[in-house]
Amino acid sequence: MGTRESELPEASPMTTSPVKEGSPDVPAQVFEKFLQALGDASASAELIARLRKTLLDDKTFTERALKAAVLGEESLP
Amino acid sequence: MIQVDSITIKEFRGIRDLTLNFKEKNFAICGPNGTGKSGVVDALEFALTGNVSRLSGEGRGDVSLRRHGPHVDKRDDPDKARVTLKVTIPSLSKTVTVERSLKNPAVAHVTPSDAAVLEVLQQVKAHPEIVLSRRELIRYVLATPGKRAEEVQALLHLDQVEQVRLGLQKIANSCENQLVPLGTASTQACDNLLRALELSELTREKVLAAANAQRSILGLSPLTDLTEATSLKDGMATPDPAKPQRIPKAQALADIRAAREALAEISSVPTTTRVTEVAADLNALASDPAVAASVKRETFYTTGMELIEAEACPFCDTPWDFGELKKHIQAKIGHLEEISRKRTAAEKKIAPLIAALRKVQAAMNTLVDYASLTTPPVACEAARDYSANCGTVVQRLTALLPLAETITFLANVPVVPQAVLDAVANLEKAVGSLPDPTKQDAAREWLTVAQERLEVWRDAMRKQKAAKEQAERARKVSDIYATTSDTVLAGIYAAVEKEFASLYSFVNRDDEDKFKAQLIPSRGKLGFDVDFYGRGFFPPGAYHSEGHQDSMGLCLYLALMRHLQGNGFTFSVLDDVLMSVDAGHRREVCTLLKKEFPNTQFIMTTHDPIWLRHMRTEGLTGARSAVHFRSWSVNHGPTRWDERDVWTEIGDHLKENDVRAAAALLRNYLEYTSAELCHRLRAPVEFRGDAQYQLGELLPAAITRMRRLHVRAKEAANSWNQREVTEQLTARESRFAILADTSNAEKWQVNAAVHFNSWDNLGKEDFEPVVKAFRDLLGGFTCSDCNEYPRVSPDRESPESLRCDCGKTNINLRKKGA
Repeated sequence: MGTRESELPEASPMTTSPVKEGSPDVPAQVFEKFLQALGDASASAELIARLRKTLLDDKTFTERALKAAVLGEESLP
Repeated sequence: MIQVDSITIKEFRGIRDLTLNFKEKNFAICGPNGTGKSGVVDALEFALTGNVSRLSGEGRGDVSLRRHGPHVDKRDDPDKARVTLKVTIPSLSKTVTVERSLKNPAVAHVTPSDAAVLEVLQQVKAHPEIVLSRRELIRYVLATPGKRAEEVQALLHLDQVEQVRLGLQKIANSCENQLVPLGTASTQACDNLLRALELSELTREKVLAAANAQRSILGLSPLTDLTEATSLKDGMATPDPAKPQRIPKAQALADIRAAREALAEISSVPTTTRVTEVAADLNALASDPAVAASVKRETFYTTGMELIEAEACPFCDTPWDFGELKKHIQAKIGHLEEISRKRTAAEKKIAPLIAALRKVQAAMNTLVDYASLTTPPVACEAARDYSANCGTVVQRLTALLPLAETITFLANVPVVPQAVLDAVANLEKAVGSLPDPTKQDAAREWLTVAQERLEVWRDAMRKQKAAKEQAERARKVSDIYATTSDTVLAGIYAAVEKEFASLYSFVNRDDEDKFKAQLIPSRGKLGFDVDFYGRGFFPPGAYHSEGHQDSMGLCLYLALMRHLQGNGFTFSVLDDVLMSVDAGHRREVCTLLKKEFPNTQFIMTTHDPIWLRHMRTEGLTGARSAVHFRSWSVNHGPTRWDERDVWTEIGDHLKENDVRAAAALLRNYLEYTSAELCHRLRAPVEFRGDAQYQLGELLPAAITRMRRLHVRAKEAANSWNQREVTEQLTARESRFAILADTSNAEKWQVNAAVHFNSWDNLGKEDFEPVVKAFRDLLGGFTCSDCNEYPRVSPDRESPESLRCDCGKTNINLRKKGA
């Protein structure tokens, strides 16, 4: 009924975060549309670039990261 | 993404050693409760994701994967608990091996492990929803709208979308909140400036006129414009630093008057009335200990939400799932919605009191500064203390908690100590008695104070403007994000809604072919209403039966998965998801899965052998694409209805002279096999409503049916003049007759002496020939090549052939001209 113990060589563990390809990534769709809408609403190119990096490249969604993207280098007065 | 060729499970959950060959095809796992089906499902999930949802997450208490994943006898040796999958990746045309052990569940050993393979496996790992149990299925259908939205969002990975929405909203709110104190500061700076300029209105022309009037006294050229860089005292000589600073008499008297007005406002009737109202509200909140505790909790959670940013707990450094934690806290805040509403209302009422206190505080500080310049100094400790006290009250009212303390502080807001009033009067008297300055000195003082206050006002305005721009930008970003995400999600939900309705009406096309559904997203919630026979839209649990709800759950899941994974939806485990669906609709589910999801490999479990047969007869699973567990023991794990297994086990019992055990097993196996034979051969059996058929009813019926099929096959061959075939069939018929007669099974109805009930009483030597006879008899039914039982085709109406899956047995049953 059973099979012999597999003799598998050590291989790379799956520890990195997953990346989807070839199937609809809903959050990425939303983020892309959002950035496009910001551009249509004449938001600054810097703001859009910062948000693109945070949402699509870095994929960090913490409030701190979003705040840095929205407000840039400026701190609140 | 993937399809699974085979799974080998060792010492995992209730399984000791089991290999199943799925061969990248649909596969069914059948067996009574507690025979190991779920162990296989857990093993699949574990190998692909490193987790077993049944052993983790909400409500699992003390149960954990690490401690309770290994077989109970190997709980101290988790390395022995291993699952190995052979997986095909269609998009890469590759077959890989994935192995995990419970010693280190997070690490999968993948061979070969090139980047493309790992990427696909990582995608699979990110989709634990490939395993669907009835528990999850019901969550999609019967959950509250808020909970359903969470489940569907998690399935579609929309939690990130929601997290960003909440984050941007919070940033916009926080920026707007900053505007309030900055606005107050600007107003105060403006009031102070107007007082210094002795104006009631701040316009460029009036400021220039007032400043130039003073400048002309000093012989300074008039200012022609007022820009951000303009200094009102431009050209004026810098005062000698060695000369003691003087009190600007006129300005000081104006500031003292302003201070009196601020004190009058804080002790006025409207302020007293507001204090009384706020105190009543806070007393109402504080009088209920539960409410008071809830206010405290709500404040704690809200503060926590603002502070959790790091990847780990700041106290014990335990890593946390940031998204999950935020969701958890947000849910707690949601439960305290009423408390939150009351707190916000109280804060709104308190805001004007805080503004009045700040005004008094600033006025007192100005007077204290003047007092220090008087000679001899005017005692102003009372004003200094009162200013400090106003600051403390502002802090207390802002914090709000503890309520009892705030109420006490609140009561003192309109009370201005007499010592303060006395200090103000003394200072006013001292300033008033100062000699009047010369016109030039007065002009110099005027310009100096006006310039100082102009700079303060400019700074306040700059900060306010910057904050306003930030707030507007943050709000715009938040609003655009909300609109965009709502539009995208509405599109997704509309597509899923249509797909779901289409799948469900296919399964229920006998009576709900016009079925429609509505997925209604609204502020983080997801309403789900379904059409009930054209009478309107209702929640699924309102009128539809449990069986209909089960198929709704499955169809919604399939619609979501198709949308989520598209062509990548190649593998899914359905763990006993259709237990409440009737036989007719299960047949339709089989057709649906086969027709609509031809590229998806489904691994399905069921405790119902009839459902297993439906899967086979509808072509959803092949003849060998199933395993039927018959029992389970802690020592051996699941055992299956497998020829090799059964005859070996019977032989083992007989070696130990345990005829009773051997007889029981033979009887159980014959019951199982006879039912399968009757089904495949379409043998007529007297109908029983409870479907509890006895071996004495089934096996004779199967034998009789086989004999009649032989006769029918010979008649058909004769009609086609196939003499050779007729001879082969005659030989086959004779061989089978001998086997049937040897077994005595057909005589059970009339001869109790040979009935299976008497097997227990036989000796080992007497029972061994019985075992051989039945083993030979079953062999007489099987195909000599594939060792499978043949089936009559088609499964309804006039039989046309008797054939096996490999094609070796293929006997024509249709006469010429029929």
